[in-house]
Amino acid sequence: MMGSSSTEGSRSMGIDLDKLPIKRLESIDEFGNEQFPPDRSNEEQRLAQIRRIDFSSVVEKDAKKAKKTSSSASKEAPQAWPWQGLVDNLHLAHQELSVIIDLINTVEANDAVAVAGMQRPKQLPSEALADLAVSAATKLHRLRNLGRYFRQSSKALEQQVLREARFYGSLIRLQQNWKVKRQRLATSGPGSEGFSFDLLDSSALSDLAAISRPLSMATVRIDHDSAGNLAIQVPKKSCRSLSVQFLGADTSCKRSFFSKGEVYNSSVLAQAAKREALTDEDVNKCVKGAHSVLREIHRSIFEEQVFDVLNLETYNPSQGINVTGMREDFLQLAIGQENSLCICLVPSGGEDVSQMILTGHTHSEESEFSSSELAVTDEKHDPFKKKLLDVPSPISLETYLLYIFHEYFLTRAKERHYHVNHRPQLSGQPPGSSYALLDHFCMTVAHRMFSNKVLSEIERLVSRVPYLHLISQFTWHSRTSSWSLCLKVPEPSLHAGRIRKLSDNQEVNCKIRSQFHTKVILKDDQISVTGEGSPSIVGSFNGNYSDLCLINCFGCDLEDLPMILLQQIAGQVIHWLHEEALVVGMNASRDFLCLYFDLDQGDTLGLVAHVDPDDVYGCISWWVVLENWSMEEGKLSTGNGESENRKFLGYLSLEALYSTVMDLISLCSAGGNH
Amino acid sequence: MSKAGGAGSGPTAAAAAAAAQKQKTLLQRVDADVANIVDNFSLLINVARVNDPPFRNSQEAFQMEMRAARMVQAADSLLKLVSELKQTAIFSGFASLNENVDRRIEVFNQQAENTEKLLERIAEQAAASLKELETHYYSSVARTHQLDA
Repeated sequence: MMGSSSTEGSRSMGIDLDKLPIKRLESIDEFGNEQFPPDRSNEEQRLAQIRRIDFSSVVEKDAKKAKKTSSSASKEAPQAWPWQGLVDNLHLAHQELSVIIDLINTVEANDAVAVAGMQRPKQLPSEALADLAVSAATKLHRLRNLGRYFRQSSKALEQQVLREARFYGSLIRLQQNWKVKRQRLATSGPGSEGFSFDLLDSSALSDLAAISRPLSMATVRIDHDSAGNLAIQVPKKSCRSLSVQFLGADTSCKRSFFSKGEVYNSSVLAQAAKREALTDEDVNKCVKGAHSVLREIHRSIFEEQVFDVLNLETYNPSQGINVTGMREDFLQLAIGQENSLCICLVPSGGEDVSQMILTGHTHSEESEFSSSELAVTDEKHDPFKKKLLDVPSPISLETYLLYIFHEYFLTRAKERHYHVNHRPQLSGQPPGSSYALLDHFCMTVAHRMFSNKVLSEIERLVSRVPYLHLISQFTWHSRTSSWSLCLKVPEPSLHAGRIRKLSDNQEVNCKIRSQFHTKVILKDDQISVTGEGSPSIVGSFNGNYSDLCLINCFGCDLEDLPMILLQQIAGQVIHWLHEEALVVGMNASRDFLCLYFDLDQGDTLGLVAHVDPDDVYGCISWWVVLENWSMEEGKLSTGNGESENRKFLGYLSLEALYSTVMDLISLCSAGGNH
Repeated sequence: MSKAGGAGSGPTAAAAAAAAQKQKTLLQRVDADVANIVDNFSLLINVARVNDPPFRNSQEAFQMEMRAARMVQAADSLLKLVSELKQTAIFSGFASLNENVDRRIEVFNQQAENTEKLLERIAEQAAASLKELETHYYSSVARTHQLDA
């Protein structure tokens, strides 16, 4: 194999001839030994041959080609691809790398040469700037990713801040009125903060007997929704209300619950939560709704406690309490002989309270009476219907029952607070008992029913006596009622300004009475009648008449009341007529319901009042009676109907009576001859 | 954090010491979280520098992400601290709670009194109206004519 050499600028190929493959003597040493060149292996021979290859011509050719292409590319610059230079450089680099890799592989395959190391070639400025640009771009990209991460985190943290602000703000506002407790057990589920409202007011019931009814709804768990709004978990069918009904009463009387204020409408909040941000008004509505729900639960708890106390009181026998029926949520009491009162716990609303909260129903609910065993009223049954008209309003009874128990609890709480803060509680001092409350309530109901009957009797009476006025007087006591029957007498003009002088022993009565009052007072079921102007029984014997007489009717029945009142009123009329007669100087006398005028020859002319409560034309009628000396003193002729000695005048008004009396006086003054 | 100042006057010394210790702990947590945020942010900025010659890019990228995550974690820790403070205020602010309860009691008592007075006024007006109506009815010509008929 001959080496080749080339001269610059010539296209001819030089040929070198190798030495013949024979061993040539290199030298002979002094001892005559011949020194031959060492034998070279095939690999050494191959390497030597490769070293002899001259690549300079090829490199020069490539350089020339590159110059030509660059010159042509500069001429065509406006049309060149901007990335062409980069591509060419990459191609060249690739070629160089390929050559080097081939060389390395060949050397390593022949195991003759091992690559000791490679030095990185010095970077060109453009390459350094390119690397810097790539590094900066990479950093910028990563920083932008970090920026997005920070933005997302900030949004999430802001939302968390808003959620917590809403939740804790609502909780702090509700804490102004309700007791908040923290649950330290890990029993809370998702969306729960471990808080709860404690609605049980133990201050009023701490020393009462054990309440058998477990108040599971006294603890209301607090949750929050996705928007952070405070939500309340209310057990289903937990709210119940106290209901008072009369046995056989019309159950069509409905009560509307949740009618006060707005109901917690979660649908509004659900719609609001879909928006980007909840307004303060939405949060306020949420707080108000939660407050109203808690208020309803608290009211329900109080009414259940009242029912429990009522049950406890029934265990103590009392005169006014007559239990005729009892179940878990139902208590039946007998009021008097004819009526029965039912006190029961009914569910509040027609559907689940919690369901109403979730669905956002705001219509007022009708109550469902759990005691469906109550008898239904037959409206065609007249006596029963009439009896129902005398019963007081059940709603007013419910209100009153709750009121008296609330006052009792409040008083006990204040007393306890006073004892704790000011002085130690004295041993043996009874803290007060609620045992009389049910008794008082039953007696109140009985009184109200009896009062209605008494009033109806009095009204019937007054409707038949034209000159009688009924005035209702308020006693502000639940078991006391009072009415006043006013009898206004006319004031004739003859008596205006006249002063009658009586004997020295009597005081001057300067004023003629213009009206008389009869007061009817009902305490529980005891009727007492106080009248003025009617003669007393004692006074009728000794001739002394007092202006004010008290007629106590112990055990006065309702049946006797009309007669007693009519007698009282008739007596007042007689009293007035008697005074009028005395004014005109007539010597008249009176005896209970009679007014007598003395005639000559011992005769007596009398004006007699006849009272009949059942008389539909008028309860008080008048008769004129003539008594002569032949008749027994103090006795009128018996028998009904008119006769020579008695004449029926009819149902006269007061003016007519006055005229009649004046006529009788005139008649008497004229001698009374007939 | 004025609870510690006012706590020494009311409760016992042990409770006051515990409150002071808790306040100190909370302040330390706040300082630690804020310092954490500041340090990580400064380190993040340092790592964001472009080196010459550029190397360790992956390592620096991981460092940047780590610093950012620590910052967010510290912010979240601060928020949790705020929640704890709010819970403490809800369940430990007895002085303010008692004051508020007393105030509400006064307001409700006043409302109760006003309501009772209003009810009394209504009852009195009802009584007066009833009396007037009764007087008118029993003095009316219609009643008289009815009775005469």
